Amino acid sequence: MLVACACLPAGADAAATAKMSAVFTPEHLGAPTTVSFGFQLDQAGLDPAPLTGVELAYPSNLGLATSDLGVSACPPAQLEALGPDGCPPNSHMGNGNAIVQIAFGADLVKETVQLALLAGPSPNGYLHLLVYARGKFPVEADVIMTAELLRGHLAITVPPIPSLPAAPYVAVTEMHLTLGGHLTYYEIVNGRRVAYHPVGVGLPSTCPRGGFRFAATFLLLDGERASSQAAVACPKRH
Amino acid sequence: MPPRPLSSLSVIVLGMGAVIVAPAFASSGAPKAHAARVLNVRDEGRLHYVKSSGEQIIDEGHATGSFAGWVKVRFLYNGEPTVSARFTIYGSGGSVSARGTARLSSPTSPSPSFHGSMTITGGSGRYAHIHGAGELYGVYYRRSYALTVQAIGKLPY
Repeated sequence: MLVACACLPAGADAAATAKMSAVFTPEHLGAPTTVSFGFQLDQAGLDPAPLTGVELAYPSNLGLATSDLGVSACPPAQLEALGPDGCPPNSHMGNGNAIVQIAFGADLVKETVQLALLAGPSPNGYLHLLVYARGKFPVEADVIMTAELLRGHLAITVPPIPSLPAAPYVAVTEMHLTLGGHLTYYEIVNGRRVAYHPVGVGLPSTCPRGGFRFAATFLLLDGERASSQAAVACPKRH
Repeated sequence: MPPRPLSSLSVIVLGMGAVIVAPAFASSGAPKAHAARVLNVRDEGRLHYVKSSGEQIIDEGHATGSFAGWVKVRFLYNGEPTVSARFTIYGSGGSVSARGTARLSSPTSPSPSFHGSMTITGGSGRYAHIHGAGELYGVYYRRSYALTVQAIGKLPY
């Protein structure tokens, strides 16, 4: 498992910097894998501006669309009312966690939030994903982020997340998402409901020069942007 | 096939769905022309997964219908609503190759369907001069990476 990470500020006077990582598990060309992304936003010494979106560029020949993940859609209203457990099992695509910062007076308190990644309805022919975030302490909140999968590009929209009355919005500072993993789906075979495990995202049979390159741009509520790049090195030939 | 002077317009339906339409020539001194033969394709292929590479899936299987044979398909789905495919049908007497694009519906369904158009890109054997276009229908089975593909068209060769 090899990860390369390069961190770039959005500009010379950028207040925010970002890091990202990307991992394939396992790393076998031409075979299915899980894809994990990690983001970290650093706004040290400042009141952190809330994250409003992430534009993730991924290798366009990665088989995200052809994967067997998300073969059912979870209606957002159902997700909001019942949580991920209320969604069809076949709509679950992965999971993760995030760290958010909440202002309590002059203090910034960190909270770890669990994430669930689900397939959402497609109103326009593109694949849509829902990222369900649940935080419990010190602020209990459920938030649904939406994402649209385009060729080589995943656009995640993060809604404003309210915290305490009159306090600033919650700021997302870290996010880790895994697409795939140990998921259980169901299909009807000869009239019986049979469980199976989806295989995940297909890696291309060849590795591009320089590895599989990822890039992310983080959009902040104050208009700032931060960018980062990462590459998964080509697997060694056995 | 060399031109065949015929005394009248002839239409011959072949077992493989080909139709021969040849113009009449009054005498051997008339201008020579190729007979306009048409392959009337209405085929369905139930294809199984062979291999994949990222966004590209390669399937093969039998095609049944008016031009029966063996089909090899390269299916490309990259997240855009439009999918594309390149395929070749190997029948008796030659092969026919085509490319197509189609609009995928319900991408989060276990088996999204698609509908679009295809264009012939070449052929071999008796179909070496085949050309034309037609319609393409299909279903992509996301669990198994299998495809069901229907090709419909009247293709001069």
